[in-house]
Amino acid sequence: MLQVKKPTIALFLFPTFLFIALVNIFPIAYTIYISLTNENTFNEYLQTYHFVGLKNFQSILTEANTALIPVVFITLLYVALCIGSFLVIGMITAMILNDKRIRGLKIWRALIILPWAMPSFVTALIWKFLFDYNFGPFNNILRYITQNVNTGVNWLGSPIPAFIAVVVVNLWLSYPFFTIVILGALQSIPEELNDAAKVDGASPWQRFREVTLPLLVPAITPITVMSGITTFQMFNTVWLITAGGPFTDITKPGATDFVMLYFYNYFTTGAFTNYGKAAATAIIVFILLLIVILTGFRLTGFNREETAK
Amino acid sequence: MSERSLPENAASATQNINAAIRSRRAVSAVPARKTADISYKVKRNLGLTLEYLFLIAMTVFAIFPLYYVLQASFNATQQLITTTLQLFPQSPTLGDYTYILGQTSFLHWLLNTTMLVGGSTLFGLIISVLGAYALSRFKFKGRLSTLTFLLTLQAFPGLLAITAYYQILQSLHLTGTLEGLMLIYTAGSIIFGAWNIKGYFDTLPKELEEAAYVDGASTFRTFWQIMLPLASPSIAATALISFIGGFNEFALANLVLTPNAAQSNITITVGLYSLANDHSTPWGYFAAASVLVTVPLVIIFLLLQRYLQSGLTIGSVKG
Repeated sequence: MLQVKKPTIALFLFPTFLFIALVNIFPIAYTIYISLTNENTFNEYLQTYHFVGLKNFQSILTEANTALIPVVFITLLYVALCIGSFLVIGMITAMILNDKRIRGLKIWRALIILPWAMPSFVTALIWKFLFDYNFGPFNNILRYITQNVNTGVNWLGSPIPAFIAVVVVNLWLSYPFFTIVILGALQSIPEELNDAAKVDGASPWQRFREVTLPLLVPAITPITVMSGITTFQMFNTVWLITAGGPFTDITKPGATDFVMLYFYNYFTTGAFTNYGKAAATAIIVFILLLIVILTGFRLTGFNREETAK
Repeated sequence: MSERSLPENAASATQNINAAIRSRRAVSAVPARKTADISYKVKRNLGLTLEYLFLIAMTVFAIFPLYYVLQASFNATQQLITTTLQLFPQSPTLGDYTYILGQTSFLHWLLNTTMLVGGSTLFGLIISVLGAYALSRFKFKGRLSTLTFLLTLQAFPGLLAITAYYQILQSLHLTGTLEGLMLIYTAGSIIFGAWNIKGYFDTLPKELEEAAYVDGASTFRTFWQIMLPLASPSIAATALISFIGGFNEFALANLVLTPNAAQSNITITVGLYSLANDHSTPWGYFAAASVLVTVPLVIIFLLLQRYLQSGLTIGSVKG
């Protein structure tokens, strides 16, 4: 720690605080304010909305047909499926890329992490076409195999295939990151440990469970937590592919209407928007996220070193 | 503990163990080899074959979208509207590329995005480098709570506050402009940048500054001439991540920007989205445009990726 004059400190910190106050704190404060009013499309224009206290929160949490619960539920399901598949695929590819018997490791590595290097919005739009019912190559492959022009999965038009599709796309986008992190951790494990276990007669599975895995945990936990959070907040990719659909019932959220998509759709496509209620829902989601994130950080000891100082 | 107090003994002990392991393996392997030779070899080769098969499958998975769009971009546009499987262009042509470069505002989109994201990355870096240095080095009340507070703010998903962003831009008379978006993107990159670069500053020894002070350098000069160059790996990594993040941003840009008749005032994400979703435009046009965007970005990424390993201190942020 350096002892520096107060005005100097202020000078260094001022720009950060200015921007954060304007673009981070103000929106949160504004959202809290709106969540306590009955603002909607009509009275917003006439400027006649007024304070209603915690009424919005009350109605969201007590209403039987509130959309919040199914939306959070499918989002959590999506997070679980995505993270599970990232871990499995990332682990397998990393272990193979760590096998010195494989020839051309560098080339395999470059090919396998390629999705990481591509701009995600472009690939989302590409994937959308790959899944296209009429002309997409996936259905064309199915037609080729079955030799039947009339077959094909309505990937983006029916709920379960659409859900699978967005999991697959997110897996494609994210596994390279897991592969690289796990590979880095694997390479830092001394070979002697595995050799010693081998001498003691441990099977490959035992060696993985008892030697490798425990040593990987410190590397895997933080990326799992962070990735869980970003997947929970997923918007771009899913919106570009399904826009939250397919919608089977106009009053209910779509099959891939994850939290962020649900909000975006609510704010931008509805003819009548209850801003007050939407803001209240936003605050509830924020609190949920905050709990998850703070637990995540505690779990990974992310902030421990800093607070110990 | 013992390892630390007796480093040399510990090291030699490890060596002994290693030697023991090696000799034991050599001894035990000899008699076992004759009987278990064949089944061992089969097992070993089967494992290796499975590994290769998995690698091939993953490679196909990884490159298929890129390959498909690449071949589609050289395909005559009508060829894509087909229900038969086609993995090679039938009659290769550059028609889609000449259309994209000549008939659309593609180059405007690219220029808009580059200026917008270049600007927000640059401003974001200047601001967060200053903040990061203060948060890492200066002693002041509330330093720790500021750090935690920043992380808490980061948890608020900006998308939930779309109406608030709109209010800000309206009061600054920046609705529908790239400058307005630049303001929000800049702020969006600050918290991550400040945390990441701060983590890197933390690893630099403070004797560096003490020596500079003894030589009579001012706080700012020490920061600018000594500390900043040393932090360049983390600055590069932060720049790359903010740039990629801004480049890919769609939700806000789509909401804030209203396309003019020639569509020359929008970003590349909004432009490509309209190309991909307008059913009257052939998909080949979109394919050519996405190849034109993707190739330079992949090259930038591959050139800068070595910084990602050394410059990411939080370590777990996706682009």
